[in-house]
Amino acid sequence: MENPQIPRPRPRNLVLLGCILLVLLVIGAEALRWTRNAHAAAKPSLSAPGAAGPVTLTELSTTHIPAPHGMPSAHASTLTPLPGNRMLAFWWAGSRESGPDVKVFASTWANGAWSAPWVVASRESLGAELGYGVRRIGNPVAWTDRNGKIHLYVVATGLGGWAAARIAHIVSQDGGASFHVRRVLPTSPLFNTSALVRTAPLALNDGGWWLPVYFEIGNKYPMLMAFDADGNPTSLARIGQSTSTLQPAIVAVSQTEVRAVMRDDSDQRRMQHASSVDGGASWQDLPALDLPNHNTSMAALRLPGGQFLMLHNHAADDASARSVLRLSISQDMRSWRTVADVAKGKVGDEFSYPTMQLVGDELHITYTWQRQAIAHHRYRITPGGTI
Amino acid sequence: MNLPDLATQILYGRLGWAIVVATLVCALWRRSAPMSRIALLAVVAASLAAMCLPGELAPGWWLGLAFQYPSGLLVGCCLLRLSERWHGIRRSQVMPQALAGVLAVSGTLLYLDAMGVLARGFYYVGFGPAAVPVMAILAALGCVLAIVRGQARGPAASLLGAVMLFSLLRLPTGNLWDALLDPLLWGWAVVTLLAGALRRTGRRASDRAAEPVGGIERDTVPAPIMRPVAAEHFSSLKE
Repeated sequence: MENPQIPRPRPRNLVLLGCILLVLLVIGAEALRWTRNAHAAAKPSLSAPGAAGPVTLTELSTTHIPAPHGMPSAHASTLTPLPGNRMLAFWWAGSRESGPDVKVFASTWANGAWSAPWVVASRESLGAELGYGVRRIGNPVAWTDRNGKIHLYVVATGLGGWAAARIAHIVSQDGGASFHVRRVLPTSPLFNTSALVRTAPLALNDGGWWLPVYFEIGNKYPMLMAFDADGNPTSLARIGQSTSTLQPAIVAVSQTEVRAVMRDDSDQRRMQHASSVDGGASWQDLPALDLPNHNTSMAALRLPGGQFLMLHNHAADDASARSVLRLSISQDMRSWRTVADVAKGKVGDEFSYPTMQLVGDELHITYTWQRQAIAHHRYRITPGGTI
Repeated sequence: MNLPDLATQILYGRLGWAIVVATLVCALWRRSAPMSRIALLAVVAASLAAMCLPGELAPGWWLGLAFQYPSGLLVGCCLLRLSERWHGIRRSQVMPQALAGVLAVSGTLLYLDAMGVLARGFYYVGFGPAAVPVMAILAALGCVLAIVRGQARGPAASLLGAVMLFSLLRLPTGNLWDALLDPLLWGWAVVTLLAGALRRTGRRASDRAAEPVGGIERDTVPAPIMRPVAAEHFSSLKE
């Protein structure tokens, strides 16, 4: 009687079959993801048009945001609006810059007053959620999305100084009362280090936003990370070719043209400038502006009437790099006129790291006051006048 | 740009670093005494257990602080090396010279670009919505072809694993380059290339020394049976 034998698959055939399955898995996963992601890049959003022409700025109040108890050092404020003409401010405070006790604090602006500050991020809270250590905490940058979620980007360093910085993306769904880590943004192949934030995001027409980022190990250069309306990153690109500029302040000139003014770390000591005419896809370095910049940060925004405001340090003969904080205005982002010196002190004083936010018809300005507190100025913007 | 969930990243980071640390510990094992399978299992288990410790007690806490996540290819190469040890293979095939060359050159370009020297935006391409899927599929096909043809099966399997991890879960960061390369793996590749170059130089020098001069043997003593020291297998860092 014939002995029937069941044919056994050869090992080589099994390997081939397994390989085909793996490749099909890769192709399937990539195809699925690609079909979900296929959408056009968003364009910068222009603020709602207002009356064009000169405006008047009337100072309404000057104050300091209440400082957390026992925290003598404060720096790097950021503002974001809340519904009902309210506003949130974030900044870091601690015993000293880079100190282990530095934390990010928040305070709410409502009914003409600031609330008591509360902690929103520390190296302990970030480390516990990330699953690995954070050595020091730095600049925060805030954004409120169209669903009311508050996205806070916090500089959190790895092993080393600011050159080892990473950017933690934390999100609040309860108006800033509590935050949870969404992720650390991937920005560099060098252990994901040396990426920082400082300047305010720019709104896009699809509800997303651009987050200005910068790199600073040795060479310094600006970058831009785009987010969709849900706060998920969609792209990352470098701004220009410069290797000595950082902390880009980005303003939309039109739906296709965007300008970035940048802090200058070179011997030129002028405010640096770059432009994109294809909605931020590519950037060209422009000649430096005729404004001094001795390695200090600035803030810029577009008014509803189309003018541009910039808050920057003005280093004159009788001033040091950060002892004068000046508000300037421009029609074209090239020629700037002085509106006022928001803060002016003696040589060695520091009024730095400014931020601006439009809330209704009010312009809010915050900046670092002598590295000890966050100052807050409030102006009313009215059409007509000489500015 | 598709990025992985934080929870998945944390799990990957702990597992990945456990495998890398176990491989490093095995590399430091005394070469005079071959590592038993029980010892190998014990090292891997201890490394995994250490990564499960809470907070600062876990080595992953400090490795993540310094290096964030290992690339998928580094983890794959470490797994392959552990597998070689399990099977008692002393002469490692984990990092052949061709792979080391590709990693060293691409890493140099990537890191020069990241440092702002080149300004070509290589890293950003690793997030590309169209280019990345195509590159991942081509890489997977190339690996499968190498495995089926029996060429450099180990490294091809490591690379395929890294591509799979990236395509299915976008680990470790959502960027294709982070799946294929990290500065530790780049360092391994550079050390492998340098070791290979030193070995070739040593071999050439010993060949020249052994050549007859003017038709007369330099040494009338019969050639030793042992090979010259310089021609012995060079031990790389990860072995």
